[in-house]
Amino acid sequence: MSLQILINGIATGSIYALIATGFALIFNVLKFSNFSHGATMTASAFVAYFLLEGRGLGLVPTLLVAAAAGALIALVGEFVGFRRILLNHSSATYFFVSSITLGTLYEGLVTIKAGSNFFNFPRFFSTPTINIGQQVISTSDVVMFCISMVALLILAFIIQKTRLGRALRAISFDRDTAQLMGINSTRIIQLTFVISGVLAGIAGVFLGIKYTLYPTLGSLVVKGFIASVIGGLGSLTGAVIGAVLLGVVETILLSLLGSGYSTIATFGIMLVFLLFRPQGIAGSNVQEKA
Amino acid sequence: MSALISNVLTQVFITLIAVAGVYVLTGLTGMFSLGQAAFMAIGAYASGLLVIRAHLPIPLAMLLAVLLATVVGYLIGYPVVRLRRDYISLVTLGFGEAIAALLNRMTTLTGGASGLTGIPRTVGLGITAVSAVIAIALVASFKTSKYGRQCIALRGDPLAAQAMGINVTRVKMIAFLLSVALTAYSGCLYAFYMSYVDPSGFGWKKSADWVIMVFFGGVNSLTGSTIGAFVLSGLPQVLRSLQNYRYVIYAVLVLIILNFKPSGLLGEWELTPRNVKRLFAGKKKPAGENKEEV
Amino acid sequence: MKKLIALLIALVMVFSLAACGSSGSSEPTAETEPEQEQAPAEESGETEEPAEPAEESGETEEPAEPAEEGGEILIGCLQDITGATSTLGSSVQAGAQAAVDEINANGGIGGKTLVMKTYDTKGDVTEAVNAFITAVTVDQVALIVGPPVANIANAIKETAEGYDVPVMGFALDPTCQIKEDGTAYKNMFCFQPSATAQGTIMAAYALQNGLKTFGILYNQENSYSVSLLAPFTDRLAEDNITIDEKLIVPYGAADTDYKTLLQPIVSAGVDAIYCPNYTQQLVAIEQAAADLGYQGKIITGLDGAPNFNELYGADCSNVYYINNINTDDPDTAEMAAAVEGQVSAVNKYFLGYDVVMIAKQCIETAGLDDPAALRDAIANVSGFEGLTGTITMDPATHMPGNMAMFMYTYDNQTPVMLGEFAG
Repeated sequence: MSLQILINGIATGSIYALIATGFALIFNVLKFSNFSHGATMTASAFVAYFLLEGRGLGLVPTLLVAAAAGALIALVGEFVGFRRILLNHSSATYFFVSSITLGTLYEGLVTIKAGSNFFNFPRFFSTPTINIGQQVISTSDVVMFCISMVALLILAFIIQKTRLGRALRAISFDRDTAQLMGINSTRIIQLTFVISGVLAGIAGVFLGIKYTLYPTLGSLVVKGFIASVIGGLGSLTGAVIGAVLLGVVETILLSLLGSGYSTIATFGIMLVFLLFRPQGIAGSNVQEKA
Repeated sequence: MSALISNVLTQVFITLIAVAGVYVLTGLTGMFSLGQAAFMAIGAYASGLLVIRAHLPIPLAMLLAVLLATVVGYLIGYPVVRLRRDYISLVTLGFGEAIAALLNRMTTLTGGASGLTGIPRTVGLGITAVSAVIAIALVASFKTSKYGRQCIALRGDPLAAQAMGINVTRVKMIAFLLSVALTAYSGCLYAFYMSYVDPSGFGWKKSADWVIMVFFGGVNSLTGSTIGAFVLSGLPQVLRSLQNYRYVIYAVLVLIILNFKPSGLLGEWELTPRNVKRLFAGKKKPAGENKEEV
Repeated sequence: MKKLIALLIALVMVFSLAACGSSGSSEPTAETEPEQEQAPAEESGETEEPAEPAEESGETEEPAEPAEEGGEILIGCLQDITGATSTLGSSVQAGAQAAVDEINANGGIGGKTLVMKTYDTKGDVTEAVNAFITAVTVDQVALIVGPPVANIANAIKETAEGYDVPVMGFALDPTCQIKEDGTAYKNMFCFQPSATAQGTIMAAYALQNGLKTFGILYNQENSYSVSLLAPFTDRLAEDNITIDEKLIVPYGAADTDYKTLLQPIVSAGVDAIYCPNYTQQLVAIEQAAADLGYQGKIITGLDGAPNFNELYGADCSNVYYINNINTDDPDTAEMAAAVEGQVSAVNKYFLGYDVVMIAKQCIETAGLDDPAALRDAIANVSGFEGLTGTITMDPATHMPGNMAMFMYTYDNQTPVMLGEFAG
């Protein structure tokens, strides 16, 4: 098993990390798995593509537009899909159903606009690879890794050091009490969705660069889901670690066992892991009431 | 024309059986499976293969396929019933992917990505309709049985249920296996109706669709779930002329229900003679029944 | 009371479901009539139509030119308009529609207007059967332009056996057309060379150009990809070239890392990698191969054809692909240029176009009164000069017998035709 495979694994893992954090953030606050996250990624990547099509702008404007689009989409999604459920204090299962439906809706809209064609972002990097000795790293992977790290650090800073972050953590801990303490929970939840939307937009662009744009691109959200569960549901650090671990393990299994059997092996490992450490890597203990 | 209606109805009945299984799992017991469709695949492939390769009579093949799925369900259920809800969806999701990968990989046996062809077409509207009615009756009697009420109890609060002397893992396992058997049976019917099976149609999206159907009609009502399955699996056919707008409309409709009638179309209402009588008498319901689990 | 209302809503929905069939049958007339009014003058539409694909697949019918005589012939177009292979389906549909418009502009078929209605299969086998039955029983189409996807053709072949409507499709896999006992499904036809022919041509081309060592990366979850595998290796085996098991690498939708998959093949320093995959995956694979510093050639199936080059957006001179059309032919080139940017899979556009033209010829010779005669006419199409080559059907297999294909490569990003190869 060469170093190259490890590098590939980390590259895959870092994109899973972007997906998983957006996913974990919502789980952290609202205690549900937001399956519309994947379609949000796809939709925002497509919005960025169509708005900037043919303008020859670079990566940064594309990321900004996608992030803004993602924020907007997530905000609308919160209003359409989750607000009333939240106010009704419905069980988390409704969020689950609502998020899947919302995902179907976004995917349907993207298909109407883009289903009959192939799309790909223009090339953002003049040199596609960076060679270090014998090892090859894609420039896009390196940039993606750096940008994800920056985004995640900013996120960590917001959550740990700002008033907003404190409010967010308070709501995550107990929404009703936080509200009684004068925190505008609706506003904070909206903000949480905005942040997760921004992450979705960034992830969407990188997925698009890596795999081209197509309406079901967001189905990779499943990997983010797996990563965030392995990491310990709701824990952001855990999600990142889980994502990188998942990327590396998957890549190693892929090179050892080949496709197909590696999927089965990944499933087996996950099962064993969950049985022996059900609280995930980070060990955060999210209590849930059915 | 009548061919179309009978075709759509047959498919709806097949879905209905699977959704009845999902109702037991999600509606009664509160467990979420994103790998339920994989059991449909097991049922479809196993029964199809037993007939094509082993030349078994079809009823026997179906029986064996359901048994096989139940055994697999037991193995996978062992960890599942011991995990929390989100993990259940994750494990079942991974299980579904693993089954799909296996079906694709075992080319010589299953035909791989090209699918399994040559299954005799023997199932029609009659058999599926009767099967659906039996399945729903089965689930209805399960709901009112001791186990059904234990399921509802542990869905509300597993800890309290345990304290009341309910063997939570055992009851969950029974519910899980019942739902697996129903789903596998619907897979058998699917195989012998379609005469062709390919691995692509049994992903987590299909399982999620079934869950949505249950919620659409009313997660606490078998009648509601049945209607949900009827409406939502028929809807894309009704909207056929709208082409790719169909799914948008479908999603919007479900979102409207979730927003404005979160307990589903029927809430907890069941189609029983007593309730029907009450419906037409226009009497006020007893206070207790009006409280939906929200 | 709330329950009653809810129940009523539910019932209304169920009834609307039951009524779906009847509303469906009135659709074609409802949809076509206003459009005929829109285009009363003969000059209207003429300029843009032949080249215009349906921009949104929602528009199933482009404005049809009114023919002199009344009456219309309804044909179906059963395609993946949504779902994983929507690009292929939409391209076939656009080409078929262009042919329909052209036929109507020239007076229709025997004075009757040709009307095409599209049925979305969503890339789902169950949906495909529904769509098929809707087409043949509710709308009673005369024939169906079929899908380029084997799984869909496999799903409908048994159902199709029960009706008298020919399906003129493009499923490469012979099992879609031929039963296990070796006879043909009476209604299933394929109008492009079989997977066997295509795989053999590509292998023969590679051998002819002195390529000796190969690796294969194929999508084991995709029947198209899988069906092209054996013909290629079989042809190589004839020249005593075997590929090391380790260099035949399958992958699936869950795999996201093509670099790891390609690693052993690239390390082995093969002359060429055979990748019969769909366009989007090809772009990612070509990218990964380039990243790994791979110097050899990449042989793709049909889907390396444009707009693969635009999507990839860089030098792809090492890509070799097979194609249905010859862009060195001026007519073809002109048509291809006209639809560029509007249609993703240009070769599928031409397949759709040709098949409608063949349908026209068959309807003219056999008429529509006797389904068996129409079937026979389709099965015995001989020497049809289409844009995708000369098509002669083999009545025994319901596939073209010896249809030629064209090999291409890219010069930087410009397609270069290399030659014509018989099957």
